[in-house]
Amino acid sequence: MLTRGEVSALIQRFPKVEDTLLSLQYAPKMPKGMVQETKAAIALARKFNNEVARPLALKLDRKTHEDPDYLPWELVETANRWGFYTRWIPRMLGGWGLNMPSMSYFTEELASVCLGITNVIGVHYLGIAGITACGNLKVAKRVLSEVVEGEKTGTPCIVSLSITEPSAGTDVEETDLMDKGTVTCHAERVKGGYVFNGRKIFISMGHVSTWTVVFGYTDLKRPSETAVAAVVKTGSPGFSFGSHENKMGQRVCPASELIFEDCFVPDNLILMDAEKARKYTGKPIREVTQRYTDYVVSATRAGVGAMGAGAARGAFEHAMQYASETFISGKPLIHYEWVQCLLAEMYKNAMLARLTYIEANYANSLRGMYKILQLKPFYYYYKHVPQAYNDKVLSPLTEKDWMTSLMIRTNLDWQFQSDQNCTSGWASLAKFSGTDLGMKNCQLALELMGQTGLRQERWVEKMLRDIKLCQIYEGTNQLNRVNLFKCLIGPAHPQVRVFDEQG
Amino acid sequence: MIGTMNPELKPFEELAASFAEKELAKNIEEHDRYPFGELFTDVIEKAFSVGLLGVTLPEDLGGIGQGISTLCLILERISQVDSSPSGIIFTNTLSQELMIASGSRDLLRETLSGANTAYDFLIAACSFSNPAEIQHMPVAQKRGSAYHLTGNLDYVVLGGIASHALVPAYRADRSRYSFFLVDLSDTGIEKSGAVFSLGLHACPAVDMVFDGAKARLVGEEGKGPTYFADVSKKMHIAAAAMSTGIMKGSFKEALSYSKDRFQGGCAIINWSEVSMILANMAVKLNVGELCVAQACQALEQSTHDWQHHCTAAALHVHELACDAVTDGVQVLGGNGYMKDYGQEKRFRDARQVQALLGIAPLKKISLIRDISGFEELCG
Repeated sequence: MLTRGEVSALIQRFPKVEDTLLSLQYAPKMPKGMVQETKAAIALARKFNNEVARPLALKLDRKTHEDPDYLPWELVETANRWGFYTRWIPRMLGGWGLNMPSMSYFTEELASVCLGITNVIGVHYLGIAGITACGNLKVAKRVLSEVVEGEKTGTPCIVSLSITEPSAGTDVEETDLMDKGTVTCHAERVKGGYVFNGRKIFISMGHVSTWTVVFGYTDLKRPSETAVAAVVKTGSPGFSFGSHENKMGQRVCPASELIFEDCFVPDNLILMDAEKARKYTGKPIREVTQRYTDYVVSATRAGVGAMGAGAARGAFEHAMQYASETFISGKPLIHYEWVQCLLAEMYKNAMLARLTYIEANYANSLRGMYKILQLKPFYYYYKHVPQAYNDKVLSPLTEKDWMTSLMIRTNLDWQFQSDQNCTSGWASLAKFSGTDLGMKNCQLALELMGQTGLRQERWVEKMLRDIKLCQIYEGTNQLNRVNLFKCLIGPAHPQVRVFDEQG
Repeated sequence: MIGTMNPELKPFEELAASFAEKELAKNIEEHDRYPFGELFTDVIEKAFSVGLLGVTLPEDLGGIGQGISTLCLILERISQVDSSPSGIIFTNTLSQELMIASGSRDLLRETLSGANTAYDFLIAACSFSNPAEIQHMPVAQKRGSAYHLTGNLDYVVLGGIASHALVPAYRADRSRYSFFLVDLSDTGIEKSGAVFSLGLHACPAVDMVFDGAKARLVGEEGKGPTYFADVSKKMHIAAAAMSTGIMKGSFKEALSYSKDRFQGGCAIINWSEVSMILANMAVKLNVGELCVAQACQALEQSTHDWQHHCTAAALHVHELACDAVTDGVQVLGGNGYMKDYGQEKRFRDARQVQALLGIAPLKKISLIRDISGFEELCG
């Protein structure tokens, strides 16, 4: 028999059990209420698919080809009516407060029909993650209240995230690259706020969003140490929209250029800057910037993985349908063994894609951004506390300085580097695995369906166009592979340098 | 590669390069907008006027009487820039070759005689199918010496812009299909608008409904599968040449971009993972070029088992191209996904081209059936 000490030492060896068997560790801690809530979210997505996404997806794709300037205002209004823009906002901030991992399952369902429509809904939560990850509850309350109000009034208020710049894509995702790159969005400190100047590109839903989370840098030569995150409202002086990209797929979800020309952002809309970071934590600013980024992408890359899983499933389902209705040499195609093996392979791909994002979410639940909300006492408290009590007692707490301080310290100081590595590494794994598997299934479906699959009305060609973008945004799959190495493999080999082969 | 192995074909390479440069390069995105923009009819007319619509057609029938190497050279060169015109050339050549293989030279001569425009010269065909795989095909009824077609036929390539179409149809017993030539101005033919497809947007297809349309038998009744098998073995390699061209275009653009785009303080080609992607693309491209060139040589010299070599090479090259163009987008990141660059079009076109002449896995089944001589193999 092994002693307790021996077990402890052996499971600490690479690969560490605590970094790899997230589901095993989290399952006993998971509030049971999450299961029913997740089933309900899946059912809701399926209902939406039947009533909205399937009837609309191909028409909207065609519409955007006819009119490349088309913007999906009506679709956004529909999603707003369905409550999709507040469903995963915590109740304390006025939303429905569904558990965060349930959004991935919901995303997979939507993505099995249309990745473009999925992103019209999902990228709003990328923006929200950009707000909540830094823990500045005052600003979060201000913006998210408008989102909640927008649902009540029927005038959608959605949030986008603006990081990518014309000359900086991969560079702005990693602090290790940031200072070597060429960022150009300048944030100048002035009395009472910052003045932003620069351009952001490929911003999903930019034109349609009411608020955008923008990153600027006070010193363009040292961006990792001088990043400023702010929220800016559409219509603010100095903030305008440029072109609207003509993309291959996900066309219903516009990719926008955002232009900041002497755009003044007051202090009360600054999410995070060096001054705030110094006020709340003793950590180097560069570390704060990376932690903030990791918080966001640990959640959202798992979501993109779920989009990949959805595409893999959708392609499988269309291939299955084709094989069932097509006859070759007088026999249904699906009766042939090679077809059955192909479909089994596709099914496997879809399931593997799903398992990776589930594991990434377990990492977030166990050691990342979802941890507090999903602790059983907190989870049940927030789930069952009367709305009136929530509105009158809990919600006002978000306005308090000490609450913001507590949240920022929780996010920045009280998460270990090993936790950050675990959540970020698994999110990257889910992202590139899910999207690669989604791509693979779309390719296999097209090969099986031949000429039939080439037709837009048969869905698969659109899925192929759509899924390609998932291999690119939220960090290219190459960047995510390196990040996986950095987070999950590298720590066991401290002599290895990452993002530094030019150094 | 083909040009290097066959220096005498240099004039044709120059012709294709000049055509691609002058007629295509500046308006690729605009041409690709069809069916949501105008079709590039002027480009098609130009292709006709310089002989690109009859590369393998014998001179006495109005063509330039070249072999498969010339056809492949031209298709590859044009596809580097825009593969839609290659799709048009491919489809028209397929129709011409099927008619010649069926012994219908006189009917072809009659059809093409006096052709003054590309419209007169184009013969539409279901070039993305092996007719044996088509689920719904018209039925041909014989009344006197004439045939009349009734039923539906999907995805007839060039059907909206050609004067004639080569249509597979069954007789009433539905045993083996035959090919028929129809005049597309016949009132018994109804055509859909251009089908909105993945790639080759400017090589459009339409769906057709035949309601007693007059048709002329091509070759002998029930011999359609034989003619298709003979011609497709040759045309497989022409399709592969298109894939090679697309792959080459993708590689060139990725390489050029990787030298100009800076991330992390240096040109991205200096990042070893990007270099590795480019290296993999280069391997695929070089192997693809070699496969096509060698297959052409085998075909033209009628070496032992040239048919297997051509089919296998084509299947392999299509897979290489589909992988390579996916990486080609990836190297450009977000820019590769936008229509301002050529990579997203190549990504779509490569998949479209892979479907030429039928379903890829069934082509593999057909190959092993041919090699083994075992007819009972499924598929």
